Amino acid sequence: MTFLRRQLPLLITFVTGILFAAQYYIPHPSSELMLTSVSKWLQIIGGFALILGVTSLFHIHAVKIRRKEAGWGYSFVLYAGMLGTIVIGLWHGGKETTDGVTTAFGWIYTFMMVPLQGTMFAILAFFIASAAYRSFRARSREAAVLLIAAVIVMLGRVPLGEHLIPISGDITQWILNVLNASVRRAILIGISLGAVALSLKIIFGVERAYLGGGKE
Amino acid sequence: MTVAERMLSIDRRIIFLVIGLCTLIPLLYPVGLAIKVSPEVKSVYDYIEALPEGSVFLLSLDFDPASKPELYPQAVALLHHAFKKNLRVIGMTLWLPGTGMANEVVSRVAREDGKVSGKDYVFLGWSPGGSSVIINMGQDLYKAFPTDYNNQPTKDLPVLRDVQSLRDVSYVVSLAAGSTGIETWYVFGKDKYKFELGGGCTGVIAPGLYPLLRSGQLNGLIGGLRGAAEYEVLIGRKDKAVAGMDAQSATHFAIILLVILCNIFYLLIRASNRQAEQNRSERA
Repeated sequence: MTFLRRQLPLLITFVTGILFAAQYYIPHPSSELMLTSVSKWLQIIGGFALILGVTSLFHIHAVKIRRKEAGWGYSFVLYAGMLGTIVIGLWHGGKETTDGVTTAFGWIYTFMMVPLQGTMFAILAFFIASAAYRSFRARSREAAVLLIAAVIVMLGRVPLGEHLIPISGDITQWILNVLNASVRRAILIGISLGAVALSLKIIFGVERAYLGGGKE
Repeated sequence: MTVAERMLSIDRRIIFLVIGLCTLIPLLYPVGLAIKVSPEVKSVYDYIEALPEGSVFLLSLDFDPASKPELYPQAVALLHHAFKKNLRVIGMTLWLPGTGMANEVVSRVAREDGKVSGKDYVFLGWSPGGSSVIINMGQDLYKAFPTDYNNQPTKDLPVLRDVQSLRDVSYVVSLAAGSTGIETWYVFGKDKYKFELGGGCTGVIAPGLYPLLRSGQLNGLIGGLRGAAEYEVLIGRKDKAVAGMDAQSATHFAIILLVILCNIFYLLIRASNRQAEQNRSERA
């Protein structure tokens, strides 16, 4: 059993890790064919991940409803909304329109999902303004620098700012292109090196957390 | 409680009202200030402008309805430009919740510009897998999408004539609201299959993509509603993005004013606290 639980997954990880790292540098037709097949598998697995996600969501909210936990009514709304959409979606073959006519599924998408998601995101502007008023204070020198940079970028990204202070647009471009880009790049390089190191640790079996913590 | 303290703990509904009015009033009474075009938006425009007629342009609408206000106008402007240049347009999405919206925008703009589905453009829809969809398209587009969104076999479509994989696409633009998006298209697409890549994104994630722009990994970037407005100016078709810029100007100024006020009150409180502390220590 230890072989199936430990050695075999480690072996599969090692072989596939080395194989696909090498594949990138080998443009031979058979190497490309292998990538084509595997990427198709990945797509299929991606489809199963969706099923897994939906099942998990159903399970979590079913528990909430059964135990009548705080806010269980919202879980019920989620169930009703999700099941209703799935049934109607399947009925219409997942199509929003048929011969130019909006289906019930299309109606749900256009007049419920689109405005609801838009509203959720739009509310952010109000909360950002309120949070900025309450917490964006020059408590230290570093905070003051951040504050000044933010004000300049906010000015330079809108026509009124560029109209009142014409140089604000150029300063904003410089902040984004030089200061922001260099810092972001440093962070990106750090993250990438970390990802490479972690990948090597997984391929060579040093990092085994992905195997889970079951009994040997 | 001093005036400054009272002002700092102001009811947040007043701030909400200010922001609401700053959004609403400019939409009702637009001013129409001039919009300066940035080099990163101009790069996307110039690249499409330079493409010969019949070139293949792939637009990946990688966003959901939450980002519609910013990215939908970008999609409309890019599609109008591509159709005006008589490019062969491939539309698709890597975000499942955005599929209906992506299909709607591609079909609507195509209809407005008199283009025919299957002949001038195709909407491939969504396929699961994210990055693996890109790899699969890079290997064989017809295996990744055997049929289009309308269940037409992609092999038979005239718009995909001589297109076997992403290597045959002249230009890809990903309009992204996060991950999976522009970075995924670069890492799994452009780097291996050697097509030119441009990006469009929400204002929030734009600063994070500037390193890719400076290194040439992206040839251009359309950032937020402002970027969409710049593109509308470039194609000479002022639409919703340009209309929204006055509202954005007003809200930005309202937030700047709020931040300045908050800091004035904060500094006043800090100064009075210091004074009180000094008085106490003098008395002691």
